[in-house]
Amino acid sequence: MKSMHFLNQFFAGLGGEKAAKQPPLRLDGAVGPGRKLDMEISATVVCGDDYFGEKESEALGQLLQWVEDEKPDVLICGPAFAAGRYGYACGVLAREVVRRGIPAVCAMHEDNPGVLASDGAAYIVPTGESVSGMRDVLLKMSDLARAVAEGRAESAPPGTYLPRGRKENVFVEKSGADRAIEMMLAKIAGDSYETEAKPPLERVPVPKALESVASVTLALVTEAGVVPKDNPDRLEQCRAKGWHSYDISGLDSLEPGSFESVHGGFDVHVANRDPNRLVPLDAVRALQREGRIGRVDGFLYSTTGNCTPAARSLKFGHEIAQRLTEIGVAAALVTGT
Amino acid sequence: VMVVDRSGTSADSASSLEVASYRVADVRQATQMRLLKGRLEVNLEEVRELALSEPAVTEVQVSLVRPGESVRLANVLDAIEPCIKADSPETTFAGILGQLEPLGLGLTNRLADVAVVPLCDFRSTHDVDREMEAPIRWHSIIDMDGPGRPYTHWGSTTNVVLQFTCKSDDPLAECDRAIRRATAGVARLLASATIGAPADVTETFCWDAEAADLPGIAAIIQVGADEPLLDTYFYGSSLRDTVPFLIDPREVLDGALTAGAYEYSGVRNPTQFYQRNKLVLSLLRLHGSRIRFVGVIPTLAYVQSNFEKSRHAMIAARLAKSLGATGAIVASYGTGNAQTGTMLTCRACEAMGVKTTVIVSETNGGLIDHVPEADAVISVGNHEELVREWEPEATLGGRYYDVESNSPIESPGPLSLMGYFGSSSQMGDTCLRTVAV
Repeated sequence: MKSMHFLNQFFAGLGGEKAAKQPPLRLDGAVGPGRKLDMEISATVVCGDDYFGEKESEALGQLLQWVEDEKPDVLICGPAFAAGRYGYACGVLAREVVRRGIPAVCAMHEDNPGVLASDGAAYIVPTGESVSGMRDVLLKMSDLARAVAEGRAESAPPGTYLPRGRKENVFVEKSGADRAIEMMLAKIAGDSYETEAKPPLERVPVPKALESVASVTLALVTEAGVVPKDNPDRLEQCRAKGWHSYDISGLDSLEPGSFESVHGGFDVHVANRDPNRLVPLDAVRALQREGRIGRVDGFLYSTTGNCTPAARSLKFGHEIAQRLTEIGVAAALVTGT
Repeated sequence: VMVVDRSGTSADSASSLEVASYRVADVRQATQMRLLKGRLEVNLEEVRELALSEPAVTEVQVSLVRPGESVRLANVLDAIEPCIKADSPETTFAGILGQLEPLGLGLTNRLADVAVVPLCDFRSTHDVDREMEAPIRWHSIIDMDGPGRPYTHWGSTTNVVLQFTCKSDDPLAECDRAIRRATAGVARLLASATIGAPADVTETFCWDAEAADLPGIAAIIQVGADEPLLDTYFYGSSLRDTVPFLIDPREVLDGALTAGAYEYSGVRNPTQFYQRNKLVLSLLRLHGSRIRFVGVIPTLAYVQSNFEKSRHAMIAARLAKSLGATGAIVASYGTGNAQTGTMLTCRACEAMGVKTTVIVSETNGGLIDHVPEADAVISVGNHEELVREWEPEATLGGRYYDVESNSPIESPGPLSLMGYFGSSSQMGDTCLRTVAV
């Protein structure tokens, strides 16, 4: 069986934060924790955390090229534990190789953004937050990788990997109507019943109010599908696959004709006559002139909320929040439609 | 001229709906229309002439398509089960075809396992995006064989397929009206072969006020009614701008509620799913023994503001409560913000003490929206799941389009369930469900 391993700069032994801009690198054989995997590693690919975060498509292109050239039976990513940037890179790379027909196994903490980034494609061994359980995790990853490569993963004991969040269709004997009536009769009678669909795990707690917005940087975030005219990044009109950031630093307002909404969930004609009604840059600038708002971040962060599943929206939210935290934004005005 | 045989009329037909079913094992081309031992013989030229009698229609091709044939139907608009009011054929599909009479009473003959399926690629004759208020997402197919066949009910029926071409200088709305009228007309024509023949099964549906001590159950059914091609009709008129109201469940079964919404066809309600609505049929069959069915309440999906969504939810819940409902089954429609309306309706019912079960479809990421009150959810399928690639020997209905990009599909790759006609219809007519893995 042929396996490949993906590491960040830290676990590859290239250094910590100072080496985080390391571009993709291919090494023969096992490196670092890969040597403790209970299986043979034919090659290791490495990418710095910041390089992946800042140049995702370039990094991904190169890493995928190497994986496709190597044609492993399974790609092993991690363990990333609670490391958000590395976990995210693991999740994205795993998702993309699975789309190309190569199975992937990761390991990380269940709250790592990489879990959502993997979009259910990877089998992820749950870990603690710190590297202390490394040896045990590597053995679990090896066992799961073998099972995945041999098509036995689905019969692994519960808890071997995190729920993949997939909703698979099956045909059952009773129609939806009859199941609904049975569930209704059980609910009325006070008998037990099992709902067929549960909500996403995360409920967002209301954050503490800021004392003043005058002393912090505010960012504008929207799910209204607001993009520069002609939609240069081809943001989807529904079921968005990502989010984008657009320079608004020199602008006093979002002029019709320069910005537009591509949202497919409402009639955008009226909104496009004045995009400020979707993202109130004009009002924010007025408040800024009055001194009631301090600095305004130079970018608008935009996606389309139309039919976008909650799990994917959570991922976008995590990514945008992480970006804003990294650049020191303390307040976000999030407008929806 | 239709011959009416009154021998099948029962004494209490004035207060009940009798549905006489005639099973059809096969449909064959013939010179004369007749039903013989489960075989329906049809003069296809007569069908074509009837459909062509609509001024807005320039061409109609009629085909018979059977389960197991290597055929894909594309640009499917609707599916109607052939039926006829046996005692007064002129009132069949009242409001669409002819004389306006209350439906849901008297004797209705239906052909089982047959559908009239209209196809039309409006884009070949009209600038659809310019004529529509909102861009329309079409990708509406039925596969008669291959991996996609089990996902749509009409992969298992014998289909009388009508491929329409309309006059390019007639407005889209007029062309659509013509197609819906022609399709209903053909459905009535085919069912006229039952007149005078013995039925395989006859079922009587009563809906009286007795059973007062049983738990009252309402069916709150969301429907879309936005503009032509995205519409739902009651006695032939659009439900646009209506508030939730009460329908006799038997009117739903008898052709009063019809479909004209062609977008995202996997999560829409074809007319045949109203005519043979499993929720209504099951609730009517339980009426008087285990429950008291208080009625069907249609409520609009896709109303365009938080206020309007909450208002419709409140009015539907208030109506269910005032009808004495202990419980309400809330059926969703479409996806996206329509499912927010479903969840608000669930919340409004529960707040008034009306217990709910909710029927929705899901996505790869699970539910689109959820309120904590929705603790009894029926999931009728993940409409984003891909169906394996299949290359049919023939495709009827013209070019078809990818539901996401709205561009024509050139090579048949895996297709999203969203495009399979009625595959995740949220009134519970199918046996699909999701499981979390």
